[in-house]
Amino acid sequence: MQESQSAVTPLSPASVSSITGVRVQPGPIRLAVIDTDSGFVRVLAKRVGEMGWQHRVLTAPPRAEDLLSMRLHALIVDLALLGPSGWEFLEQVCDSVPGLGVIVCTGTSSVAQRVRGLRIGADDWITKPCHPQEVIARVEAVVRRRKRASPGAQEDGPLLAGELEVRSDQFQAFVGGQSIDLTRREFELLHLLAKARGRVLERDEIYQHVWGYAMVHGDRSVDVFVRKVRQKVERFSPGWTYIHTHFGIGYRFEPEAPDDGPDETPPDPLGDGTETPEEVTSSA
Amino acid sequence: MSMLRHHSNGDGLMALFEESGRNVERTGSLLRDLLEGFPERSSLARDILICEQEGDRITHDIIHSMSTNGSKLDQRDAYELARALDDVVDYAEETADSLELYGVEAPMEQAQELASVLAGASAEVAHALAHLRSGEDVATQLIEIHRLENEGDRISREAIASLFKSGTDPMVVIRWKDIFESLEQAIDSCETVAHVIEGMRLKSR
Repeated sequence: MQESQSAVTPLSPASVSSITGVRVQPGPIRLAVIDTDSGFVRVLAKRVGEMGWQHRVLTAPPRAEDLLSMRLHALIVDLALLGPSGWEFLEQVCDSVPGLGVIVCTGTSSVAQRVRGLRIGADDWITKPCHPQEVIARVEAVVRRRKRASPGAQEDGPLLAGELEVRSDQFQAFVGGQSIDLTRREFELLHLLAKARGRVLERDEIYQHVWGYAMVHGDRSVDVFVRKVRQKVERFSPGWTYIHTHFGIGYRFEPEAPDDGPDETPPDPLGDGTETPEEVTSSA
Repeated sequence: MSMLRHHSNGDGLMALFEESGRNVERTGSLLRDLLEGFPERSSLARDILICEQEGDRITHDIIHSMSTNGSKLDQRDAYELARALDDVVDYAEETADSLELYGVEAPMEQAQELASVLAGASAEVAHALAHLRSGEDVATQLIEIHRLENEGDRISREAIASLFKSGTDPMVVIRWKDIFESLEQAIDSCETVAHVIEGMRLKSR
């Protein structure tokens, strides 16, 4: 991936999940620009640099995983640079990096092209020539909208499930008003699952949201942290089942009282609801 | 083989090698259990450290025995064997230590597989040394060690390759590359043990 690096700094683990939609933290906007229009890029880079944004310029389309690891807030892309594969790239990015604001900034286009781009998932479409200040303002607007739409950023009220109360404002979960003493990562995992109540989240998806990176095949982090969360929850809310294992897939959050009947999931060979390595392997 | 067994100091030395083999087997077994039960069974690292210290003591005893009793054993072979046995335990201990040093929170399946291979190879090493002392054939054990080393090599290569896929946390790469490598070196050292035993066996014919 060719790129001209500028003001890109490693991000602390605490801010990782901001891009993936779990939580948005304050801080400089992280922007990438895929464009070879040197004049446009130079002026834009200078302006965003002055504003304290972290930015990088890419001359070729990166893979979605690479974009994910950059943990960007927004991406500006000139589709004309990518040729016929531009639509495919746009679709892939919008699907794979859901928290990323995507702004198409390209030359003259037809109404049909702009409609197509926006329907695929682009957040905005700017036609060149354009003023850098307008581009910056549109990026800010997109990031602002994204922050509002981000579930974690809403600082919504407590999530109530069974005896459990998950409070994003305190990064903690409670049973009967008593803290169950989750660590930051344990809370993020529980919060993610609880927000998606009733829906099965795949391991890769959970890892990407909580850890902020692509999961390496064979990594047992999600299973270990689910086990830790379960142990803490069960200590304070005995008999209840909150996190259900879907073997070969991932986990689902759904509170079940002690007499709600058996879970639909098959028997748990380890007795702790996590999968054996063989089962994980077979899921690949 | 019989040369090793019947020499006046041969049996003393072979008893020490056999003891070292048992220590290697225990270390491999502990590391497998540690990774299988990680992080809940992290305290096994302490037992592995004790094995490492025990391994140092046995190696020292072997070298001391060779220098004081003038064994007719090929001293270079005996030294190589002692060193390779010590290496197995050292690399296993390094693996256990790295888990804590690098703040690893959860295991990787590939590391669990490698530890399982190491436990198997370590058990074969122990059996081979016991057979060597009693004069029994060790061919089966040596073949199995070679097979396990190949298996470990394959797992290790795939594991390291998986770390370098796009979007991986660089800290994960740093941590696990080292851990995979130390596990592979422990398994390689089992193969070195097999090579030295094979050489000793050929010389004794």
